[in-house]
Amino acid sequence: MLHLQSTEQLLKVIALACAALSVAIGIWYLVRRPHLHRATKTLLLLGLGVFPLIVSLTGNIASFEYTLTRPFCGSCHVMGPYLRDAEDPKSNSLAAMHSRNHKFGENSCYTCHADYQMLGAVTTKMNGMRHLFKYVTEYASTGPDGEGGPPIHLYKPFKSEACMQCHSMTAKKYLEQHADQIEQMRSGDVACIDCHNEVHPLALSRRASARREEK
Amino acid sequence: MKHQMAKQMVLFSVIGTMVAMAFMASSIIFPHPLLLVLAMSIGQGIAIFALALFLLAVALDLQSSGVAYIPVDEPVPETGVEAGTEAGSETPPAPPAP
Repeated sequence: MLHLQSTEQLLKVIALACAALSVAIGIWYLVRRPHLHRATKTLLLLGLGVFPLIVSLTGNIASFEYTLTRPFCGSCHVMGPYLRDAEDPKSNSLAAMHSRNHKFGENSCYTCHADYQMLGAVTTKMNGMRHLFKYVTEYASTGPDGEGGPPIHLYKPFKSEACMQCHSMTAKKYLEQHADQIEQMRSGDVACIDCHNEVHPLALSRRASARREEK
Repeated sequence: MKHQMAKQMVLFSVIGTMVAMAFMASSIIFPHPLLLVLAMSIGQGIAIFALALFLLAVALDLQSSGVAYIPVDEPVPETGVEAGTEAGSETPPAPPAP
């Protein structure tokens, strides 16, 4: 019995089933080479048009959903240390603590690193394409964790808006604790991670190139 | 001539769709970033091109009225329908001679 645990899995099953049907129709045509009767054309329209369209739609949605997850971010080997740290139940880094929070679930990387704007998802995915280009051109053969490649860094400074999705800047406790920096925080001169900088410490310390830079 | 061209186009369209399906299915089964990008760009591009080719082939086929569909040596179905009109029923029957 097939157990579907999420919409993403259901979409994947639909996409694969439609792909199989499309290929089956294609093989039937290649083997039989029937005349182009109306029935043949209708069947080919299903195999070459309708089913591929369903595969494309469901496959795109399922793939997009998967690209939000931590295993996808960790599927490039240079992200290995970051992934291991985030999934380490004993780690006290901010990444690990946030990954243990059920509100983030599997999407902890995306939740903090996605751009927080109306077109945030689009710009984030555009940056993802840039990641892939860099990965292929600069990190392809750089060791199991990408030690031989250049140090990993963000393209632009990490903005506090990502933190403020959950952490309010108007809460009483926050105002009490951040009374000295509140104006600088609001103007953007000071970011959350300027002080709370234990985000990926273990991951960075595991990288040989990062260690060399520290020395 | 047009009918032969249409058949060739359908053949390329079928092969193209199968290649595109292979790209898309592999990206779903093995969701690696590179495969996903290939499926969403090259795979979908091939699929769209194959569909366009198929629609063009159908248009060409309709233009040729389907007269050449059934080879001469193939038996004509005894349904009262003429050989050329089974596949290309768009062709109106010839008017009776005065």
